[in-house]
Amino acid sequence: MSKVYITGLGLITSIGNDLAGITRSLRELRHGFEVYPPFDKPDVPVKVVGTIKEFSVDSSDPEDWVFPKKYSIKREILRGLAPNSLFAYCSMLQAIGDARLSPDEVANPQTGLYAASGGSPFLTHHYHERMLKVGVMRTSPLGIVASIAGTLNFNLVAHFKILGASCGFSSACASSMHALAFAHEEIRTGRQQRMFVVGAEDCNTDSILPFAGMRALSLQTDPNLASRPFDVARDGFVGTGGGAVVVLESEAEVARRGVRPYAELAGWGQASDGYNVAISHPDGVGLHLAMKLALKNSGCAPEEIDYVNAHATSTPIGDASEIKALKAVFNTPGTRPAISGTKALTGHGLSLSGAMETAFCAIALREGFMPGSAHISQLDPLCEGLNILRATVAEAPKAVLNNSSGFGGANVCTVLKRVN
Amino acid sequence: MAEDVHKNTEVNGSKQPFPTSAKSFTAEDEAALTEALKRCSPATIEAAVKFRKTGDPTPVPTVVIGIIERFAEPDQRARLRGADDDLRLIEDLGVDSLTMMEIVILVEDALQMSINNDELRNLRTLGDIKTFIDCKVRGLPPPKPSRFLPIEHIGAVMPIQPPFLFLNEATIGSSSASAKYKITGDEFFLKGHFKDNPVMPASIMLEAIGQLAVLFLIEGGHGEEGKQADPQTIYFTGCEGVRAHRICKPGDTLTISIKPKRLKMPLATIEGQIRVGQEKAVYVEEVTLTYGFREAIVQPVPVAAPVAASAAPKAVHSLPAAAARVISPATA
Repeated sequence: MSKVYITGLGLITSIGNDLAGITRSLRELRHGFEVYPPFDKPDVPVKVVGTIKEFSVDSSDPEDWVFPKKYSIKREILRGLAPNSLFAYCSMLQAIGDARLSPDEVANPQTGLYAASGGSPFLTHHYHERMLKVGVMRTSPLGIVASIAGTLNFNLVAHFKILGASCGFSSACASSMHALAFAHEEIRTGRQQRMFVVGAEDCNTDSILPFAGMRALSLQTDPNLASRPFDVARDGFVGTGGGAVVVLESEAEVARRGVRPYAELAGWGQASDGYNVAISHPDGVGLHLAMKLALKNSGCAPEEIDYVNAHATSTPIGDASEIKALKAVFNTPGTRPAISGTKALTGHGLSLSGAMETAFCAIALREGFMPGSAHISQLDPLCEGLNILRATVAEAPKAVLNNSSGFGGANVCTVLKRVN
Repeated sequence: MAEDVHKNTEVNGSKQPFPTSAKSFTAEDEAALTEALKRCSPATIEAAVKFRKTGDPTPVPTVVIGIIERFAEPDQRARLRGADDDLRLIEDLGVDSLTMMEIVILVEDALQMSINNDELRNLRTLGDIKTFIDCKVRGLPPPKPSRFLPIEHIGAVMPIQPPFLFLNEATIGSSSASAKYKITGDEFFLKGHFKDNPVMPASIMLEAIGQLAVLFLIEGGHGEEGKQADPQTIYFTGCEGVRAHRICKPGDTLTISIKPKRLKMPLATIEGQIRVGQEKAVYVEEVTLTYGFREAIVQPVPVAAPVAASAAPKAVHSLPAAAARVISPATA
């Protein structure tokens, strides 16, 4: 069985569009929230979004989009993209550069790509509306591949000439963690030498506002208070989008290429709540089991974990379940890993969040710090006994646990270890 | 403003009838049209507005070319401007089939017409598109689609065979044909034409034009429904106005194209030219061939019908007589 390493990252997020900027935001707990102009309407009680800066992708016509000049994208590629696949495309370019991969190392049968996004409700809406207005034969021929949930794998596999394994994962907010987990499996079992794991989401009204219907979004109007996992006054998540690419490589490839990995992706586990279509189990039974399985799978005892990047979306119910699950896993005396929720800074990136937070953990392991859990003014008393980090600690974790949960009670956890 | 115009059209409709083509083109329509064509040249937008306002088909080619130009990669746009009707969108301009659909959708939107999948498949060249759209806007039946013929097909139907066949592939339309021939350098006559300096003889290039005309006739270009030109009856009778502009050598690919000028059995007169890339190589004002029809088209015959089966050879046997008959006017 091969060990699996993280050797490259690419990120377009609300807290930065390059690794240096994101590392600084994580260290200094700078959030990426703004009052979002399209929500500035009397009938929209939600106001704050983790916006993506430097990108203007509000038009349904990709040729209108504005994005940093360093990403030059031909029209024939652009026409099949949604905002989320544009973010992913740019993240891919970053990750390939960061991992120092040659075109041949990207395009070969030993290199695959797993992806996760919820598709583009924005473009789906636009194309359906156009179909009804101008007729079925006059909608864009690329409308489908741009807007449905597979848009990431369709586009990236074609444009980066991926020849190995490829598919998409759909388990809502656990999607890109599933992608990461199964990509890990491909390398561990020797089926692939290298995998790109991609998560991305649009960041607009159509991708975020539908969550208001289930009362999942924070109604806070102050960007400094809106997302505050573990705070007693948390009132829902703040939506965001963006793109994240994590490059996984086998031990053999890391040795052959002579690269220094960010971290080892040591193992993973998953379990389901079997409880409710949209609400997490009150005791976090699925998440509890997923954490235990991840630890076992990576040969780690709970006391070896120094830092937990919690799923912690800042919803009252979701955070409470996770707190109970964490207490159940780290229950031996003296085991108090530092815990934080980086969604306090970024917002909740839905399908994107697993890959994005894995990247954050990889940065923390390589740079030697543990990001704090921002915006807590009064810690939820339920957290009693847990070490919720209120500020960033300049201390290098050796092993990190990363949690994610999705609709239907899907829970996936991974363990990352420092590489010496 | 936009609403006023619309209202006026409705109110005045009965008293002051507008031309039919103008009745529904409102200021909103113009705004939508301008928006749809916003990445096209101003001339394209102007032409589209003119067509939609007046129904006059004259500006239509400008609209179509302008829309193709908008979707072509920037480095290919110059080619499009100087191009003639033989330019193939996919092979020459690098437009893929999805872009072709984008072009069609925008043309449909701009000119308010529908193009179905079968029609779309038949549009290969700039000329195909221009002719097709022109027929559409004039309400005429669409022309017969041009057909691509690979060398296997050409070899099977032509009376002329290697080493004297100078067509590698051909595209036959209803009123034109084009073909390609690559000079390999292995042509037997190049050994002596010229000594240590192989140059494609102008007479052979004229032959290639003639061969394309033969293929055009065999493939039904004579335009008479239900009749087949008999390959055994087609001969050269004359040519006029031949000019050679460019020396063609091994490695050059000749693009041969013809257009009929007069077609009436037993004589077919065509205009022809050869280009290498964008460079003109040969032009001939007129090449005239004689041809005749098969007396009876051989129908598929059920095996169990011996009487009918014997009729087929009879028809074939009668061909030389027909050939002799059509040769005489030319030699006269």
